[in-house]
Amino acid sequence: MSTQLSHCSSSTNNISSCLIKKHTLLLKPLVIVPSRINSFKRVSLIHSSIHPRKDFEFKNSNGHPLNAVSLQDGSAEKSVEREPTSLEMGREESNLSVTVVGASGDLAKKKIFPALFALFYEDCLPKNFLVFGYARTKMTDDELRNMISNTLTCRIDKSANCGDKMNQFLERCFYHSGQYNSEEHFSELDKKMKVKEAGLRSNRLFYLSVPPNIFVDVAKCASAQASSANGWTRVIVEKPFGRDSESSAELTRCLKQYLAEDQIFRIDHYLGKEIVENLSVLRFSNLVFEPLWSRNYIRNVQLIFSEDFGTDGRGGYFDNYGIIRDIMQNHLLQILTLFAMETPVSLDAEDIRNEKVKVLRSMRPLQLEDVIVGQYKGHSKGTKSYLGYTDDPTVPKDSLTPTFAAAALFIDNARWDGVPFLMKAGKALHTRRAEIRVQFRHVPGNLYKNNFGTNLDKATNELVLRVQPDQAIYLKINNKVPGLGMRLDRSDLNLLYSARYSKEAIDAYERLLIDAIEGERRLFIRSDELDAAWSLFTPLLKELEKKKIAPELYPYGSRGPVGAHYLAAKHNVRWGDLSSDE
Amino acid sequence: MASCCFSSSATNSRSIYSSASILQRIQQQHVIVSVASPGLQYNKFSLRSNSNSPSFPLAAASQDGAISTTVTSIENDIPLKKVRDTKISVAPPEESKGITPFDLNKDKSSVTITVVGASGDLAKKKIFPALFALYYEDCLPEHFTIFGYARSKMTDAELREMVSKTLTCRIDKRANCGEKMEQFLKRCFYHSGQYDSEANFAELDKKLKEHEAGTIANRLFYLSIPPNIFINAVKSASTSASSANGWTRVIVEKPFGRDSESSAALTTALKQYLEEDQIFRIDHYLGKELVENLSVLRFSNLIFEPLWSRQFIRNVQLIFSEDFGTEGRGGYFDNYGIVRDIMQNHLLQILALFAMETPVSLDAEDIRNEKVKVLRSMRPIQLDDVVIGQYKSHTRGGVNYPAYTDDKTVPHNSLTPTFAAAALFIDNARWDGVPFLMKAGKALHDRRTEIRVQFRHVPGNLYKRNFGTDLDHETNELVIRVQPDEAIYLKINNKVPGLGMRLDRSNLNLLYSTRYSGEIPDAYERLLLDAVEGERRLFIRSDELDAAWSLFTPVLKDLEDKKTVPEYYPYGSRGPVGAHYLAAKYKVRWGDFAGDQ
Repeated sequence: MSTQLSHCSSSTNNISSCLIKKHTLLLKPLVIVPSRINSFKRVSLIHSSIHPRKDFEFKNSNGHPLNAVSLQDGSAEKSVEREPTSLEMGREESNLSVTVVGASGDLAKKKIFPALFALFYEDCLPKNFLVFGYARTKMTDDELRNMISNTLTCRIDKSANCGDKMNQFLERCFYHSGQYNSEEHFSELDKKMKVKEAGLRSNRLFYLSVPPNIFVDVAKCASAQASSANGWTRVIVEKPFGRDSESSAELTRCLKQYLAEDQIFRIDHYLGKEIVENLSVLRFSNLVFEPLWSRNYIRNVQLIFSEDFGTDGRGGYFDNYGIIRDIMQNHLLQILTLFAMETPVSLDAEDIRNEKVKVLRSMRPLQLEDVIVGQYKGHSKGTKSYLGYTDDPTVPKDSLTPTFAAAALFIDNARWDGVPFLMKAGKALHTRRAEIRVQFRHVPGNLYKNNFGTNLDKATNELVLRVQPDQAIYLKINNKVPGLGMRLDRSDLNLLYSARYSKEAIDAYERLLIDAIEGERRLFIRSDELDAAWSLFTPLLKELEKKKIAPELYPYGSRGPVGAHYLAAKHNVRWGDLSSDE
Repeated sequence: MASCCFSSSATNSRSIYSSASILQRIQQQHVIVSVASPGLQYNKFSLRSNSNSPSFPLAAASQDGAISTTVTSIENDIPLKKVRDTKISVAPPEESKGITPFDLNKDKSSVTITVVGASGDLAKKKIFPALFALYYEDCLPEHFTIFGYARSKMTDAELREMVSKTLTCRIDKRANCGEKMEQFLKRCFYHSGQYDSEANFAELDKKLKEHEAGTIANRLFYLSIPPNIFINAVKSASTSASSANGWTRVIVEKPFGRDSESSAALTTALKQYLEEDQIFRIDHYLGKELVENLSVLRFSNLIFEPLWSRQFIRNVQLIFSEDFGTEGRGGYFDNYGIVRDIMQNHLLQILALFAMETPVSLDAEDIRNEKVKVLRSMRPIQLDDVVIGQYKSHTRGGVNYPAYTDDKTVPHNSLTPTFAAAALFIDNARWDGVPFLMKAGKALHDRRTEIRVQFRHVPGNLYKRNFGTDLDHETNELVIRVQPDEAIYLKINNKVPGLGMRLDRSNLNLLYSTRYSGEIPDAYERLLLDAVEGERRLFIRSDELDAAWSLFTPVLKDLEDKKTVPEYYPYGSRGPVGAHYLAAKYKVRWGDFAGDQ
């Protein structure tokens, strides 16, 4: 039974779920699958959206600008992609080509190729797949393979026949050199792809791992010259999606000249993180959390991101964006919306993204007085000296770009009115972590109040979802210290992933790539989401820049500027990550 | 470790408390007392013994247990009672206890703990070791003396010899254990006498007085004797060995009768000689760490209380199992059976704590009032809501395990249940319709005591396709494991890490042994200390006991009248399958049988 599913396995020891490479032909049985899937405790939602889409792609994916323009946002598309008929399910074999545009870049080497290999290793890629590298550098296929193989590792404890698998994978990798803005070169690529596709129905995924200023050129050339004639064509783009509302809208508008909304897969790789994926599962599949998920019980929510290193000589890109654009406006805000959204109608991508947009649109744009910015300065610890941000040769000496920011956000809806959502993101801090902290209110009329100090809020329950490092979920509860007498204590009800799950965590890119291949849009950002996100941050960012607000300097490796505490205090919050029991 | 109470280094009876909570309690009390009866502040110890007294008169107005105070005041023939009753007219009655004018001449008080039945098993295994542990931890008052009392002829030295054999230093054999043990034993004495002899108790009284040496004498009697001689011992002790100027308290252990009538008779008899507040009925399960923690969990965490009702809780399971049988000591057990031995007391007490409304305060009377309310809201148990079992012999790997009726101390045709499961219901606004399932058994496959709270399924679960057809299989569950390996865990659904969307039940876990390194004190230590301090929270009031019996008495009678035959189950098995059918009747599935346990 399991082999008929378009997931790679339902056996208990194989965690991954993805397309089975060998069974694209077995489409008929899929119709009955959803009901059977239950018995395997699996989700069939991914799969129900795959095949319908084939037909949909067929109509929309050929780079017809008119078609794209007519589609507003996700909700409009749904009607198109519903109702697969047996005809649409197709009976011929198809081929998947993943083209990494910007194949010689850092992201491609470190993340994209390894993720593709991991998917292949886990039998998650379709039977017929090809990987194309595209970049300006002149390279042969062999040189590309050589480059890729240097970064490949067998993710899961060096299991058997890794070498074999690697060779098989590399055999399917090809390279084409060309300019990013040359339709001619993309047309050559198209020819090469056609040869390799050998007449199979062709599905094409372009991963734009290129600087943002050439996004549109590439989208244009790829769409015009290298779209699939008989399958789908999708394009993955990575941040930055503009630097404010206007530039983001412009980028979206340009992309949509060549691509339909449903062809654009905007990646936010934080959404591919395990705990972030788990957030909705926690909320919606446990009775014990949802009743608490509102202003009645939650005092504040904290979204914390910190890195323990600076720009370290690669400040060129960062200086143009700053920490707010680089982390807050996308990663942290995305997590916030997932955290705060109402229950969606279903787990379908459009239903979830509709709810996320509603949260974003209920939020107050950030106010300058609810934000503090910081920048790290040089610091010597022991014999070691750490450079300040402006000591980075790629950063202007007088840069005011924040490397740290803390902000208080508010959602003015019935569920969250008055609950501060605090965000904090910084580079060159004392620790590396990303976490969500939910501080609950104090117990009204607490019988044990004599056991707590004067501030009842210090001993409240707290739910912590630690995204990295050491993924964990824990709930701080008050309990009695064992022994005579009555002394209370905060302990953790703990779920440490590494203790419960022995397997190595998969990389966010693997999840996102397979979702893009399967047409699962849940974890990608829709245009209207992006607009709404920018409209929250743009006024603030403009004001910060116009007023040339000087960041509060903090030493490299410290806990960040103290201003963050005063911001928190203003909203009666205490940062959970800096409390003594952490 | 935990707070400890009395400093042995104090020069007078002023007590030093390391715990803020106790300090607070004392301060409160101090204020109250000094208002009520100025001039008594010298004697903190005796004041402490009455720490709950301010609330007691309130309870007296509404609760059965306290009504008896007024009722018994008619029976003034006993000297001790006379002293007390004359004072009862003066409010607050408790304060009068142990405080007579000549007390004021002394600012020292002493405590004497008399273990009646000192040569018995419980005394040796639990009471003396608990007393020593308290002493080791500096929890006993400076001036304390321990007396063993039993029929056997023994010298003080022989008693010490006997006691010393069972003493261990609870906390990883810490420093100067031997020294402490010596000091402790020096304070142990023995007096031999009959349990029903006032003369013998009068001799004991003389001895006690010598040791008390004119201090304010507080006396605690621990009745570690068979129930049929409770009354005689109480009568003799109360008449001949009550403290003249301090408090006198009596600790009694189960069984408190075997049904409503015998229990009521016992209570009436006890009350001829003792006031309600002198009687400390021990249920040692209430002294267990996690049972104590139950109220802390509920009332000091915001996240649990909103869930604590029929709206979110589908059922509650109280599970007790032992992995051994009567092993040649079935004589006592056969007369009671598992329902009386475990359910009617231990499990029901835990249930009441679990289900009670929020008390006005943590004072003993406030808590016990709430517990009584729960008990009185409960439906008496119906015969068809009970399954009983008895273990039969079983051979496993060459070892033969005997049946219950193979026990030489058990009649061969005994129908006494060694296993029982029951469904109980609380007909109040919070719990209407929620089944509370109890299960208790001997000779089962494992030893455990736990509380399992199964929550309802998520309404309109978005992830329902990930669950099987029965959404109730994968609900959240809160487990409070009382023993072994104290732990609290909450089963939650989460995503299995990796690609795709597979759900899994994991535990949000708090295992005590990993969080707290110190050994957890024995329930008896806590309870003894509370009795010395006059903290009644963990002891059972008369009206509680009545209410508990009235739930179980009809079904017990029914079972016995109808000579219901227990379902047999093999020694070391998981118990009779009837328990599953009982659970199924209420759409419950025993949590301790789940695949992920």
